[in-house]
Order: sequence, then structure tokens, then C-alpha cells
Amino acid sequence: MNFSWDLLLNAVTSGIMLGGFYAAVAVGITIAFGMLDIVNIAHPAFMVLGAFLAFLSINTLGIDPFLSALGFAAIAFVFGRYFYRAYYHFFERRGDDSLQGLAFFFGIMFIVEISLVLIFGVDYRLIDLPYLATTYEIGIVQIPLRLAAPCLAGVAMLVAIQFYLSRTFTGRAILAVAQDLEAVRFVGADPIRTKEIAFGIAMASAIVAGVLLIIIQSVEPSIGREFIGRAFAICVLGGMTSLPGTLLAAMILGIAETMTSTFFGPSWSPAVAFGLLLLTLAFKPSGLLGR
Amino acid sequence: MSRPILEARGVTKQFGGFTALDGVELAIGPGERVGLIGPNGSGKSTFVNCLTGALTPEKGAIHFLNEDVTALPAWQRARRGLVRSFQIPRPFKKLSVIENVQVPLRFALSEPPPTGIDRRAMDILDSIGLDAKANWAPKDLSQVELRKLELGRALAANPRLLIADEAMAGLSDSEVDEIVALLERLNGEGIAVILIEHIMRAVMRFSQRIVVLVAGRKIADGDPAEVMRHEDVERAYLGQ
Repeated sequence: MNFSWDLLLNAVTSGIMLGGFYAAVAVGITIAFGMLDIVNIAHPAFMVLGAFLAFLSINTLGIDPFLSALGFAAIAFVFGRYFYRAYYHFFERRGDDSLQGLAFFFGIMFIVEISLVLIFGVDYRLIDLPYLATTYEIGIVQIPLRLAAPCLAGVAMLVAIQFYLSRTFTGRAILAVAQDLEAVRFVGADPIRTKEIAFGIAMASAIVAGVLLIIIQSVEPSIGREFIGRAFAICVLGGMTSLPGTLLAAMILGIAETMTSTFFGPSWSPAVAFGLLLLTLAFKPSGLLGR
Repeated sequence: MSRPILEARGVTKQFGGFTALDGVELAIGPGERVGLIGPNGSGKSTFVNCLTGALTPEKGAIHFLNEDVTALPAWQRARRGLVRSFQIPRPFKKLSVIENVQVPLRFALSEPPPTGIDRRAMDILDSIGLDAKANWAPKDLSQVELRKLELGRALAANPRLLIADEAMAGLSDSEVDEIVALLERLNGEGIAVILIEHIMRAVMRFSQRIVVLVAGRKIADGDPAEVMRHEDVERAYLGQ
């Protein structure tokens, strides 16, 4: 191991930027899995779909990916609501939402992946934005805009969703459903309507995360699988239903990965990151900010 | 009794080989005040869960307002006016007191209240004595206030029949009196109430009629004083 302050500071900075992106990926898992009890393992596949949509829109229509992310997010929100309706109708309503539901999302994941392979092939794609080519240097720390901008966008998205959940009535109704679905049912509220909105938000966040992904790194149709474990780990580490917890966990995971990668080699990264998860849960089973 | 609003017909519920309810019959008239009592394990909670939709009985049917609701989910029963409160208060912790009441007002009613959601929510808080604490967090409420909030939230769902499941457990005598007075006031507004309670003083004061469940069977149903003199009730419930 070669230690230097230069390496350490740059590893931490890269980790924070990576963490910001991880937060964007995991926020939808925290909503779907943590709050709504929906094991949507197809979430990262939808993220990759978002990446390819951004790729398509800049290459065919010349629309900036940050701009197209907003449009795609709006469409994904509506799609997510109908998607949840279908899931509810065929699985959740009948109480088949554990194993069958998981199989359903596995199936959806493969359908999305295969569709992307058929349309785009298996090649890696990247969006190269000239205005993000700059790298700022603050002392010995390097901050490439190509990583910093997606990080800021990811954190901004999480903060906006947190603001919506904590400051609006519908948002707080989502938190009520997350807290006590049975109590919501027994006062006659249709929890499905609330869950539908929440799932729409989760779906929209997956698409935005995908747009950020293809700005950060090149993407191929099955790359979403690499993020399934990480996203669920962040959700659990953060405390399942807490978005501030998700942000904190994403940052910790990001920093742990880049530090390990810098000082011990990239192959150790997942082991250290998940070791950290197990260690945290051993001492605080409810996660960092869980109750 | 005028035509019942709730009719449970031969409700039977089994858990594996154990029969928790065995052909329970019950009819509740409009605006009635009924005490449902029985020793621990007698099937009271199971019966309430069957009535409100948390459990589906193996046999029998539940009719509410002349409609068979046996297959309806809990929230649809609640929308029809069959509402329960919980034994242990379950407020939505991240919502303020008034927002707890607004959840059913906004999401459960087929039409918004004529006076508007905010006005109606304040009226409900006023009627349960929590208007001054509308913007408080539930965690800052006392035990009796939490029970009132639980009832207020149930009230917001516009009940025709309210099932108050041990709404007074763990309260002091004066607090029990407060809750009984509140239930009487709700009943005065035309809401039928089933009171499930172990505090016999409250049951005897509140109920016009008492139903006794023992080992999943209804063993008595009638005038409170007569029921309490019933030989089987004395033996099974009071252990005498």
C-alpha cells in the first residue's frame, strides 16, 4: 500500500462524487423497497433504460441530457404509476407479492435488458459533454466536472424528494403508508393511490439516475446488475425508510469503495463496502438513521 | 330493534386446527351502544378482525348496511362506514395531529366534506379536545390524548359503526371517564359503537347491551345487568 495525503484526499473526493451518484440510484430503492415493501430488483435495469434514452435523445434530437432527464422523469412517473397498478392487480392484491413478485421483477429486468440489446446492441455507449470536460484543481485535489455534476444532480434529486415527502401532504401520506399500512387501511384510505404516486417517483428517479450514469461512465444493457447489490445495501445501511440515511450511506459506500480501490486495488472494493454494511448492521440493526 | 346496520352470520375462523370463532352471530342496530366482552383468548380481537377485514372467516358472512362485505378489503369496509380504532394507539408519527385526521378526510371519503378538509379536521379536533394541539407531533401527546387522536382519526372516516378496541386500557379512572364521555358524544351523533373493553366499570356505564364471547362462542347477548347475572358468564368470564 502506497499512502500519501494526495491519494487520500483525492480518494475521499472521488468517493463523495461517487456517493452522490449512488444516492441517485438508491433513492428509488429506498422508496420502493424500504417504504412500499416492493422488491423492485428491476430498478437498476430501468436506470440503464434511462441511460440509453438520454443517449438516443442527444444523438438524434440533440437535446442536452440534463434537460431530457426532466422530460423522461415526467414520463417515467406516469409509467411508474401504471406499472405499480399492474403489479398490485396481479400480485400484491392477491398476497403473491413475496416470491412471485420477486420473480415478476426478475422477468421485467430481463425484458428491459434484452430489449435494449435488441435495439442498441451490446456495445458500450457514453455521452461526452464538452462543457463537462473541465477538471478543477483545488490544491492537490482534482474535481472533474464530469463526476461532480452528476453528483450534485443526484444529491439535488434526493433533497427534492425528501422535501416533497416531508413538506407536502401527499408526501407525508406516503410516509404514513410506509410507517403503518394497516392503520391507513383501517381509516378507509386507499393506500394503493398513495403507493402508486410513490412508485411513480421511484421510477422517475431510476431514469434520472440512468442519465447521470451515462455521463459518468460508458454503459451497456446489462450493466444495471452491478448496481443491484449496492443500491439495496445503501437502502438497508441507511435505515430502510430514511432518505437522509440513504444519502449518508451512499456517501460512506462511495468513499469506502474509492479508498479501498486507491490503496488496496479495485477487486477489494465490494468486499470492504459490504463488510462495512455487515459491521454496521451488527451494531445498529436498524441501519444508520433507521428507527 | 330497527333493521341492523351490521350482521355477522355464523362467523367461523380457524387457525390450523384451532377454532378461534365458532359460528358467531351478531346484529347491531343503528346508533346502538354494545359492549363486547370476554376473557383473554375468547376471540374478541379475531372477531373484530373478521368484521373489519383484517381476517377472512372460513365460514359465515358479514353484512354491513345491507351489503355483503365479507370479501371486501379493510379500506373498502371503512369507506362504507365500518371503522375501528386500535388497542395500542398507532398515530402516523411523521404527521402532525391535524394531518393524522386529514389522512382519512383526504383519502377515504368519496366526496370532500362540505365545509372543506381543513375546517372539518379542526371541527373533529375540537370535538375530541385536541384543537389546541393541532400542529403538535403525536410523540408529544399524553396517553389519553393519543387515545383521543385514535378515535378522532376513526371519526374522520365518517363511521356509521365505530369499533373501539380497548380504547381505555392503561388509563386512570378520570381518563377512562373522559373517553367514555367522548364515545357517548359520538354515539349521540348517531354513530353506533361496539366497545371492546376489560374495564367493566366503563362497559357497564356505556353499554345498552352486552355480548359475551367465550372460547370463540357467543354465550350471552342482552341487557347488561341480566347478562352479568347469567350463570355461564359468571362462571366463564368472572371465574366464579
